Amino acid sequence: MNSHPYLRAYMAGVAAPSAALLIALTFFVLMRLVCHIPIPIERFIIFPMAVVPSAFGIWNIVYLRLKPHRSLPIGLHGALLPVILVTIGAVSALASGLMVTDSHGVTWFGAVSASYSLLVPWFFGLMVLYYLIWKYVVGFLNRVLGIA
Amino acid sequence: MKEQEQQRIEHLLKETMQTTDGQAGAELRRDLWPAMLKRLEAESARVPWFDWALLASVSVWLVVSPRAIPLLLYYL
Repeated sequence: MNSHPYLRAYMAGVAAPSAALLIALTFFVLMRLVCHIPIPIERFIIFPMAVVPSAFGIWNIVYLRLKPHRSLPIGLHGALLPVILVTIGAVSALASGLMVTDSHGVTWFGAVSASYSLLVPWFFGLMVLYYLIWKYVVGFLNRVLGIA
Repeated sequence: MKEQEQQRIEHLLKETMQTTDGQAGAELRRDLWPAMLKRLEAESARVPWFDWALLASVSVWLVVSPRAIPLLLYYL
């Protein structure tokens, strides 16, 4: 079990967002087909499907790589990931037209609007969620795979 | 000569059987799964109050502001 620790770290990191992707996809399909909210799923799904799981896997590799040198708990390490992901996500959403900005605030998917003042608490909420996911889900998988 | 040969074979057989028995016994005695389950249960049982508070705050936030749900799912 001591071989390929980075491969195991990547797999442990990828597992949580891969499972969440199914929930997200179900939610957005229901919103589009049942609630008739015109969310462009085919454009929306690229980021959570291609970028987020890979980012989790790579971030877990970074955690494993840095572990001998500093003792940042895994929850706090995971809570820092939104800083990178939100930046990449916002840029890709702007580029693909999923996010539109105006003087009042931001509109996502042509359906969800929020003022600029709401973005800060939303960002901290995302950090808290990531903290919990990393501490309990990714940390658990790391222990199971023998890399904790 | 024949007796010596027999003794040698007997010795070799005994040695081989001991080694095999030892390995099999060691494998059975070192079943790590129950210990692993115990360890996982012990660790999963301890959730500090601070994390419960964070989970509650996220839940309240999502109830109060359901518009944030699609955005959260986008980043998960």
